[in-house]
Amino acid sequence: MRRLETRWGWLMALPAILGFAIFTVGPMLASFAFSLTDWQIGGSPSFTGLDNYAELAGDELFWKSLSVTTYYTLGAVPLTLIVSFAVAMLLNQRARGLAIWRTIFYLPTLVPAIANVVLWIWIFNPDFGLLNSLLREAGLPTSQWVHSERLAVPSLIVMSTWGFGNTMVIFLAGLQGVPRHLYEAVSIDGGGPWRRFWHVTLPMMTPTIFYNLVVGVVGTFQVFNQAYVMTEGGPNHATLFYVYYLFRKAFTESEMGYASALAWVLFMIIMVVTFLLFRNARRWVYYEMAGAR
Amino acid sequence: MKRRDLLKMSGLAALGAAAAACGGGGGSEAAARLQFMFWGSAFEKKAVEKMLRQFAERNPGIEVEPLFTPDEYDVKLNTLVAGGRVPHVGYVPMAMSFRLAEQGKLVNLFPYLTKYPQLAGYLPDAYLWYGPDKMHGTATANEIELLWYSKAAIAEAGIAPPPATAASAWTWDQLVENAYKLTVDQNGRHPDESGFDPGQVRQFGISSSITYGAAWYGFLRGNGGDFADGTGRRCLLDAPEAVEVFQNLQDLIYEHRVMPGPGQLAATGDDVPGTNILLKTKRVAMVVDGHWSLLDMNESKAGYGIGVLPRYAEPYTASQVAGATSVFAGTGHEQEAVELFAFHNDPRYVDLFAQGLWMPQEKKYYEDQAAIDSWTKNAGHPPEFRTAVVDYARDHGVPDFRNRVRNLAAISADVLTPALQEIESGKRPAGEILKAAAPRITGMLQGWHHTQAL
Repeated sequence: MRRLETRWGWLMALPAILGFAIFTVGPMLASFAFSLTDWQIGGSPSFTGLDNYAELAGDELFWKSLSVTTYYTLGAVPLTLIVSFAVAMLLNQRARGLAIWRTIFYLPTLVPAIANVVLWIWIFNPDFGLLNSLLREAGLPTSQWVHSERLAVPSLIVMSTWGFGNTMVIFLAGLQGVPRHLYEAVSIDGGGPWRRFWHVTLPMMTPTIFYNLVVGVVGTFQVFNQAYVMTEGGPNHATLFYVYYLFRKAFTESEMGYASALAWVLFMIIMVVTFLLFRNARRWVYYEMAGAR
Repeated sequence: MKRRDLLKMSGLAALGAAAAACGGGGGSEAAARLQFMFWGSAFEKKAVEKMLRQFAERNPGIEVEPLFTPDEYDVKLNTLVAGGRVPHVGYVPMAMSFRLAEQGKLVNLFPYLTKYPQLAGYLPDAYLWYGPDKMHGTATANEIELLWYSKAAIAEAGIAPPPATAASAWTWDQLVENAYKLTVDQNGRHPDESGFDPGQVRQFGISSSITYGAAWYGFLRGNGGDFADGTGRRCLLDAPEAVEVFQNLQDLIYEHRVMPGPGQLAATGDDVPGTNILLKTKRVAMVVDGHWSLLDMNESKAGYGIGVLPRYAEPYTASQVAGATSVFAGTGHEQEAVELFAFHNDPRYVDLFAQGLWMPQEKKYYEDQAAIDSWTKNAGHPPEFRTAVVDYARDHGVPDFRNRVRNLAAISADVLTPALQEIESGKRPAGEILKAAAPRITGMLQGWHHTQAL
């Protein structure tokens, strides 16, 4: 009986396992093998050992793309966390028409990625875009936004916060799980809203914040759409995001070996960053059942 | 005995299978199925498909399947190459064509020149060589850069239209002077009048791309400069002749304020509305753009005129501004594919020439009066076309450097385009940017591609 169940269990899980093995693990292993070769599409790969990785160290654009991406991550992740946390707090109040507000704030997340980018191209347009029109109305100086080397990444960071819906929903779920008696305890001790936030909400929310932080960092390191659709990595490499650079190497310049090496370096970077985040988490993330995790 | 029976049986089965295979073809001989891969506008799609149908009609037994691929052409073609499923004939992005040829993925067409005399009569710059006697294709059509203008805008400003003959081409100063008169802000002021608002320009005088190589290569050559020296190993973009050309372009935006800056014309990303729309809406009065715009100009009834580009020392324009067409190797139907290659841009069968998208590659269409008339004497070609395009291309075309420089894909992506974007942004003078970029380009240069006379 037990054996039968085990067999069925494996059988049911098989599609997922096969999918993972064929479409994720297989290509990953293949890309690692490619990363050790000099392979242009159309030619045949020749084994070059770690040459691609050595070449990366001297590749100016590799470092540029890494710094641009890090800049984006450092801006987009905290900003999205703060905005979505703040909105989640607001939506956690008892107010009239709450369901409508939640829908409205979640709505941008439903816009498909490319449509979202095209929409923002209009918003950023220096001549007739929404942002410059508003600035002009207010008598303020306008900006070149994504067309300016200096402001391109900050513009994209602002844009990234627009899709905060998913993060917000997770925060909202977390907020609703904060035990009510803790708030009551603070109130009985005479604490106001600030103390309730600082001594109850924030500590109880740290696991959720941590989760969103990790997911955000992993996601933003792989930012691609904006560079691909909006800026083509420009102006002057200002938005040469790592994955876009990888894509260009692979499919425009067809340097598959080099692009595979880029992919593995990114994988390592994300692993290390995630590892560091987890190690650091012990210091500030509070788990109610500390022993159980 | 038993074994013989078995043999008989299998023999019968084989016969049956063969009969069934014949039956599948409707009794006709087995057809060669060719694939033709191409990009272009919706209109080009229609015209190319018509050309392919004609080819199939003239060549019974050959079917052609159009593979229309309007976006991400290089990515998709690369993927087909990696998967070993290349088309038989197709457009190939210029830089990629040389790589594929060197990898043996494209057919060497040189031996076929004797079989197809019309192929041997092309403009010399049309051929693409990946080595001595090794020709992997031609530029799909001859295309040159022109100065398009809105007749209405010219009339409103009360100026003479840009000249249509190379001999009387405007100097750069004349261009600037006229661009001032053609640039108007929302309050009707010109850039040289006090109170001009550069943030609210209704009509720009001119648009001439800084990041698009074909647009400025004629200026560069006309001023005595070039992209690289004779060996193709040293970049010359930091030479005074080049710096002058790029500084002049930058000045159009920031000094004279007669040209839109980065992003100002964009509708979506880098997709600026077509030149036909810019002129028709009078967003811009004059635009430097390729001859291929003619089709869209006529389609949208843009009220346009054609002039030659402003001149430096020589009135040059970039020619052969197009992608390659090539025949792919190892597809099993090389003869038929070469037949299609010779057919696909022959003005006798393809109406893309009379419609104004393409300019012929055969020399006779620029020299022989009857041949010239065969593609230009129609409603789609304005009266000035003869001097502003046919004569201009023949006598003053310089082949686009992007068909000639090795390793240009990487040079463009890594150094050239970013530098040009910086010039366009106006933060530093062109000379400073080019002085930094040129040595880096030199470090990546691998010489010019091979060329030879037939």
